Amino acid sequence: MNRRDILKFGAISAAAATATLTGCTTAPKPDNSVKPAVGMGSKAPLPAAKGPRVVIVGGGWSGLSVAKYTKKFAPNADVVLVEQRTQFHSCPISNLYLVGAVDLEFITHDYLQAARENKYTYFNASAIGIDKAQKIVKTTNGDIDYDYLVLSPGIDYDYSPWNVDLATEQRLRTEYPAGFMSPSEHMTIKSKLEDFEGGNFIITVPGGNYRCLPAPYERACLIADYFKKNEIDGKVLILDANHDITIKSEGFHSAYDEMYKDYVEYVPSAAIMSIDLENKKVIAGELEDEYEFTDAAFYPHVRGGKLLEVCGVAKDNAFNKMEGNIDPFTYEVIGEKNIFVAGDARPMGYSKSGNTSNSEGHYLGKLIAERILNNKDIKWKSPLTVCYSAVSAMPNHAISVRAEYEFKGKTLAGFTNVELSQEWRGKTGENNGKALMEWAKGMYRDMFNA
Amino acid sequence: MQRREFFKVVAGVGAVIVAPSLITTDLRADDGRLYKAYNKVQLVDGDGNPILASKLVEEENYIFNYPFVGVSSILIALPEKTETNVKLKSESGEEYIWKGGIGKKGNIVAYSSICSHQMTHVNKAESFISYQKRCQKTMACPRTGVMVCASHLSAYDVHKGSEVISGPAPQPLASIVLEHHDDDTLWAVGVLGADKFHEFFKAFKSELKEQYGGARKAKKKVKDTAQLVALADFTKDIIQY
Ligand SMILES: Cc1cc2nc3c(=O)[nH]c(=O)nc-3n(C[C@H](O)[C@H](O)[C@H](O)COP(=O)(O)OP(=O)(O)OC[C@H]3O[C@@H](n4cnc5c(N)ncnc54)[C@H](O)[C@@H]3O)c2cc1C
Ligand code: FES
Repeated sequence: MNRRDILKFGAISAAAATATLTGCTTAPKPDNSVKPAVGMGSKAPLPAAKGPRVVIVGGGWSGLSVAKYTKKFAPNADVVLVEQRTQFHSCPISNLYLVGAVDLEFITHDYLQAARENKYTYFNASAIGIDKAQKIVKTTNGDIDYDYLVLSPGIDYDYSPWNVDLATEQRLRTEYPAGFMSPSEHMTIKSKLEDFEGGNFIITVPGGNYRCLPAPYERACLIADYFKKNEIDGKVLILDANHDITIKSEGFHSAYDEMYKDYVEYVPSAAIMSIDLENKKVIAGELEDEYEFTDAAFYPHVRGGKLLEVCGVAKDNAFNKMEGNIDPFTYEVIGEKNIFVAGDARPMGYSKSGNTSNSEGHYLGKLIAERILNNKDIKWKSPLTVCYSAVSAMPNHAISVRAEYEFKGKTLAGFTNVELSQEWRGKTGENNGKALMEWAKGMYRDMFNA
Repeated sequence: MQRREFFKVVAGVGAVIVAPSLITTDLRADDGRLYKAYNKVQLVDGDGNPILASKLVEEENYIFNYPFVGVSSILIALPEKTETNVKLKSESGEEYIWKGGIGKKGNIVAYSSICSHQMTHVNKAESFISYQKRCQKTMACPRTGVMVCASHLSAYDVHKGSEVISGPAPQPLASIVLEHHDDDTLWAVGVLGADKFHEFFKAFKSELKEQYGGARKAKKKVKDTAQLVALADFTKDIIQY
């Protein structure tokens, strides 16, 4: 790891350190009153629980891992995973999908398989609220009683720092999607690239602790690679709200400089000031520079999944709005026994990554199982961030980072045991590229196989 | 009776759970917990000649298929004697004792190559799990001379029955229980610790078809002899960080 990168990690950690994770800001008071019924007002079509019921809302990298490991360590638990989608689409590897390096099948997985193999129930519905007093999750397909509740809804987009009106926001969501949440967004971006005839393709990098720090930079590399290979007279313009690439900066900078000189323009400190969709112009940075674009994928700020706010378990923190108001070690909502928030919706300044959510899910599953079996908690274990980023496709060349986290009291002190592999050239880079695919396959096995 | 046939008879017993009293110190397993005997198999070279422990190159990754045709195991002659009588724990909390390396120096160890995390394993195309020499730094942990799975960077202590040092691995690799005979030959006799064989055969059906002509063939127990080859000769790419 070089000095520059230590400093970059330091910057994120310092910001994290200012955010004491429990006290602070606008935590809504716990509301235990029985709310007027929302949802169907009838029971969900599920057989009676055969053991303590653990309901997990959100079948992403977090929820899938919590569901599997709760059931694994407490086989008597009745685990129900509530997920609004009918198929799992992986965000990791989706950048390779955008440029045709993997097919949709590689990143698409089957919720029924995960449930069948790991002996829990997959319940296809949207959660729309909770009744904490009665311990009921309301869903679009009926009410579910719970003894333990995990909310893992991931992120939502927060366009408010851009000061755009709702009509513009709506256009941004549909015409220029970020591609950091739903599979539909990825498909839109893929078809944009397939039709792209030339000019600037803008991608933005938000401030705050956004989902997957390296992914926008990875995407820039892959799109540039695609332009280069397909002889498209286009350029990826990266407007970064941060002062420099937030992670693996040496690897990305050198890839831009050496491989994509004519295809990538990196603009640091370029927070979006305004967006003119009619004239396809963006004003960014303190000097209010103007950038024209032919097409774009605008990645706004992130916030905690809306569900947390609806359920009254969210608070603002130093980085983002409306993330879980939880104890950083147990993931339990402050003041609410046995309601947990995990994954990218957590407020801790961890890297919002699939690997982090997965390793945290192993821990939380074990913790809930221990509560069920012995009414005890387990010793805190740091989540693990292992993250590979492709810098070119077919053949894939990649760079990577590995890190854990440490606390001072209840305050996150930052990253620890950080190791970087930023060599994308030659055999090392190619091996990193192979490791990226092996990483993904292993992760899918972890979530979908027994 | 010919030597070969003699071994066949012994091997014919197949897999049994060995009662604690049957296990000798030679087997390097302790009290039968999480120990499973498989065919007694001699390690040989490409020409079928016995491998001699004293001829092994230290710190080289060697591969042999055991206990099944489609499961590769890694053998290493470490530069020093391993620890002995190491207490290990499986993911489900079962404890067992790993007795230590074998050979004159007590330095020869073997482990299943299936990573206890998500089953990354040595295969012919590319291998992400292997022992990293003492001179090779790894991203997985500050120590060197460890087994590393580069898939999600788990590190295992090969001197201590592959106890997990870092990363997401929830339990040690399954140990291959070896015997070292007076004539310096090496034998594999069983597996100690929680293995992943069942999950492995299920998850890698299509890969096994490609490599071994089908899951059924891959699931056959290795009999009599197993060829020991250097990992570098077995796999196209050894991928490590
Ligand atoms: C382009 C891209 C590349 C990435 N690359 C990597 C990478 O290489 N490595 C890596 O580790 N990470 C990567 N990530 C990050 C990773 O995808 C996220 O960190 C991870 O998905 C977070 O997991 P999660 O479970 O918290 O959220 P998600 O995976 O988003 O899951 C949330 C789930 O909750 C469901 N949900 C939400 N609200 C409700 C509700 N009310 N009712 C029912 N269901 C609901 C959603 O449908 C969704 O399935 C990448 C992300 C992107 C976008
Ligand atoms: S498969 Fe080996 S660390 Fe994940």
